[in-house]
Amino acid sequence: MSLINRGFRNAFRNVIRTASITFILALSIAMSLIMLMSLKTVQAKIDEVKSSIGNTIVVSPAGIRGFEGGGELLTEIEVSKISALLNISKLSKILNARLTTDDTNLKSAIEAGSFGRRTRINGGGQTQVNADGDFTPPIMLTGTSDLSITSNLNVSQLEITQGEKFDAGSDQNVALLGKTIAEKNSLVVDSTFKAFGEDIKVAGIFEGGNTFANGSVLMPLKALQRLSDQVDQVSSLTVQTNSIDTLASVQTAIKAQLGDKADVISQQENAEEALQPLQNIKTISLYSLFGALVAGSIIIFLTMLMIVRERRREIGVLKAIGASNLKIVNQFVVESMVLTLMSSVVGMILGGIFNNPVLNVLAKNIKEPDLGSSFAGPGLGRAIVRIGSGLVPGVQDTLRNIQAAVGFDLILYGLLAAILIAVVGSALPAFLISKVRPAEVMRSE
Amino acid sequence: MLKVENLSKEFQSAGQKVVAVNQVSFEVPTGVFSVIIGKSGSGKSTLLALLGALDKPTSGSIKVDNEDIVKMGDKKLIQYRRKKIGFVFQNYNLIPNLSAVDNVILPMEFTGVSRSRRREKAAKLLAQVGITEDKFNRKPSRLSGGEQQRVAIARALANQPRLVLADEPTGNLDSATGEVIIKLLKHLAYTKDTTIIAVTHDDGIAREAKQIFHLQDGSLV
Ligand SMILES: Nc1ncnc2c1ncn2[C@@H]1O[C@H](COP(=O)(O)OP(=O)(O)O)[C@@H](O)[C@H]1O
Ligand SMILES: [Mg+2]
Repeated sequence: MSLINRGFRNAFRNVIRTASITFILALSIAMSLIMLMSLKTVQAKIDEVKSSIGNTIVVSPAGIRGFEGGGELLTEIEVSKISALLNISKLSKILNARLTTDDTNLKSAIEAGSFGRRTRINGGGQTQVNADGDFTPPIMLTGTSDLSITSNLNVSQLEITQGEKFDAGSDQNVALLGKTIAEKNSLVVDSTFKAFGEDIKVAGIFEGGNTFANGSVLMPLKALQRLSDQVDQVSSLTVQTNSIDTLASVQTAIKAQLGDKADVISQQENAEEALQPLQNIKTISLYSLFGALVAGSIIIFLTMLMIVRERRREIGVLKAIGASNLKIVNQFVVESMVLTLMSSVVGMILGGIFNNPVLNVLAKNIKEPDLGSSFAGPGLGRAIVRIGSGLVPGVQDTLRNIQAAVGFDLILYGLLAAILIAVVGSALPAFLISKVRPAEVMRSE
Repeated sequence: MLKVENLSKEFQSAGQKVVAVNQVSFEVPTGVFSVIIGKSGSGKSTLLALLGALDKPTSGSIKVDNEDIVKMGDKKLIQYRRKKIGFVFQNYNLIPNLSAVDNVILPMEFTGVSRSRRREKAAKLLAQVGITEDKFNRKPSRLSGGEQQRVAIARALANQPRLVLADEPTGNLDSATGEVIIKLLKHLAYTKDTTIIAVTHDDGIAREAKQIFHLQDGSLV
């Protein structure tokens, strides 16, 4: 009968007590595990969002709403002030325009549908009526000064399927056509179409990754400014800083330059706002994790305290017949280890059972952070969301990845928690053991 | 074998000084069965606790085989308790969830007796104190008082101690059983070369002893 053996047997001396303690402790361990997993889930999501934050700043005239216009456009003078700022690595200007049947011979690739018709009846504005008295939505045309920045082009991607990109710095009447508008108008590379009374040559055709993008047209900024009579005007500006660390300072500098005239928004700000609910869940999980661990430690602590007091005489006898403090303490540690390990096994099973439901509830309540929602203009916002969901796997994916890894983690953390709880819970009882005077056993009562 | 000189033990109890053992000096040779008698509260248990190194005296010396245990450090005291002393208590003090044989094995575990030897020795000791084999694996709760005290004596003898200290070993037993237990202790003293000091207030038992010490208010009279 070894020390370990005795500790083990002692753990089962009072079966009912052992069972109830195991159950309660198991609940707190299950709780710790679930909170740990929730913490990991949320942290993974936060990391993902953070890593997806670009170092870009969007500057748009105050009050402008994408293609709907409104507000005062920015001027090239203002733009040049911004481009003179430090730490800017790239700067892309765009001008949004809409082509109606008055301006172009292109047919829209997008059917108006019932929504479009309703919009028109409600006086929703600049739709165009064709010969049949029917109407088609306007064609979105974007002039850009830099095709290497696509976040402001309302595309999820910019994959040239025919021809090639134009020189965005030029003033030529060239265009890139989304694939559906090209198809609808039977246009290929080197074909021409009419816009603003001039011939525009098709430089290439692109796959934009979404219906909206594939129905739109891209042109060099200068050409569009000239054609649409908006020389020197810019509807928004996308600035890329040389690193994410300079993002905030550049943003401040731009704000200082433009004052009230423009909305200056970086993705970082947006992301932080979007991350707030995630951070809250993380904090709650963290506190709950601590709470559950502390509760577990207190349970085992009180149990061991009770057991040590109950066996005071026995401890005295062990000392009287020559057991060292260490031997007795070790025997009790073995006992508390057995209790906690048993509890962790039960806790892991409970944790395994309740982990998925809890994480699923969590995932449902974690909204996909909407990085674009507060960007100027609905068009822009939509585009960024699209880009976001293209690059970043959703919460559900994250969840799946984490659940795949849970098996091993669960066991590892469960054991760690158990050992931690057992050690913490045995510390004071051990001290009490050392204080038992062996002479006490002489007293008979 | 045992030489006690000017041994005193004071307690502080509710701010009051209690002298439980007062300037006690005596000697016991090897292999002698001696008895301490005295009224309740006269300091008998306290004296035994001091002899068995369960407590430290306030002053005085206790020499066992010419070594003063009062001067020993904690490590040596543990060794002393393990190897030199066997204790028998009034209420047996067996470990409740260990069987009779495991209770006897326990002290041998502390002295490093090999696993196979332990069981063999325990069986032999139990047989010597009159426990039959069918009771070896019984828990204390399934043994009578007399049987429990026999097991306790076997446990006290497990490491062949030089000194067996028995505090009212018959106090919880009927007189017939008590007599048997005392005979057993006395017999062991003869055959094992072990010094036995038993506390009792039974004059009948006292008559069996070679030496009688009479304690009164902590002093020998
Ligand atoms: N731990 C203690 N603290 C205070 N007083 C004690 C303690 N142990 C014993 N005493 C006192 O010492 C005296 C002797 O006690 P004890 O040795 O138990 O007597 P006996 O065994 O002869 O009945 C008693 O007055 C008792 O109250
Ligand atoms: Mg007493």
